Amino acid sequence: MEDLASIIRAHPFCAGLPEEHIALLVGCTRNLHFRRGEFLMREGQYEDRLYLIRRGQVALESQGRGAEVVCLETLGPDDVLGVSCITPHAAHLDCRATESVVALAIDNQCLTRKMQEDPRLGYMIAMRLLDLTYQRLARHRLQSLDVYK
Amino acid sequence: MNRLSAYLPTPLVITDSVRELPGVFTFAFAPEGGFAFSPGQFNMLYVHGVGEVPISISGDPAEPQRLIHTIRAVGTVTRALERLDAGDWVGVRGPYGSAWPLSEVRGRDVWFVAGGLGLAPLRPAILHVLAHRDEYGAVNILCGARSPETLLYRDELTRWRGRFDCRVQVIVDSARRDWYGPVGVVTQLLSHDTFGPNDAVLACGPEVMLRFLVRELARRGLPESAVWVSLERSMKCGVGLCGHCQLAGTFLCKNGPVYRFDEVAAWLRTREL
Repeated sequence: MEDLASIIRAHPFCAGLPEEHIALLVGCTRNLHFRRGEFLMREGQYEDRLYLIRRGQVALESQGRGAEVVCLETLGPDDVLGVSCITPHAAHLDCRATESVVALAIDNQCLTRKMQEDPRLGYMIAMRLLDLTYQRLARHRLQSLDVYK
Repeated sequence: MNRLSAYLPTPLVITDSVRELPGVFTFAFAPEGGFAFSPGQFNMLYVHGVGEVPISISGDPAEPQRLIHTIRAVGTVTRALERLDAGDWVGVRGPYGSAWPLSEVRGRDVWFVAGGLGLAPLRPAILHVLAHRDEYGAVNILCGARSPETLLYRDELTRWRGRFDCRVQVIVDSARRDWYGPVGVVTQLLSHDTFGPNDAVLACGPEVMLRFLVRELARRGLPESAVWVSLERSMKCGVGLCGHCQLAGTFLCKNGPVYRFDEVAAWLRTREL
């Protein structure tokens, strides 16, 4: 059976992290399963987990006009969910598993504490989160252009 | 085989008319003696008394007896085309322009990336590759659309998806809850893939999407010289004389519309061009 350290190491978000940092992350991480339809996050609720998705698809949803629920983006294997929750913010979208999802759930409080204690880990995680944030921002800018209209 | 003139429109009767999506329609013609073309080329379509527009050829290159054009009604001429139906005639001259590099990418893994109506100019190339499947490596077809309802050639995508020798992925900008596919931009479909010297990308869609795509491919190690794109500009003559479609040192109608990205990259990034 795969140990947690090798599962963490295999996720692209953690690729290239030194072994001592992987060991630090192991103490903050659980491997979780979500059934189809289950919510990983709910809008307005404080979330304390960063999810590294390993399998399945998660829809980021919001209520549009009237009661219609609109899917704004989906995340899949190798993606990271909950980037905004690394600082104490309430989730601004519903995040629903549209199929069975397997994800590494990193406890944010535990992670931020270790990032503070080990600035090298803090720098690496922060840079990766920043890169993800930029990538997502660039995608949303493109989406907002409505180029296929 | 072609009896159509490069300079004079030949009247062809619409033999079949299909409404694909709101404002998007496909016309079929049966030119006498057939109509040979290379995937990626276009024709000038003329509506009597209204004007001419360049439209990509969307048919199967292996079926020259059936000329196919998929058109979006966006301007005066295309709106006039939209009002036509089977039995009406359209003036056609062509084919013009450069083609997708199907010989050059033979033996390589081929990625077709289409955004919106960009699938129409790619369709002949996809049909060619699927018909000569053993000459190519892995075949990937990635399509982006505004919503599930605006997916072009939905039945055909479903058919291609049912084949065991190619991978078809579709992503939409936004969707209701009854859509189970991915939502986002077309480059998200690349997220789990790595690229090497054996990959070639043929892409068509809005220019901003193409620039974004090339940037994302570069992040994954694919050089601009392995990406071919089909571009759009206002065209009038179709034969490189009038200069309407000039993009810096090239005329899209004559040297394009298909270019290797590195040949036009600098110009595409220049806002004034």
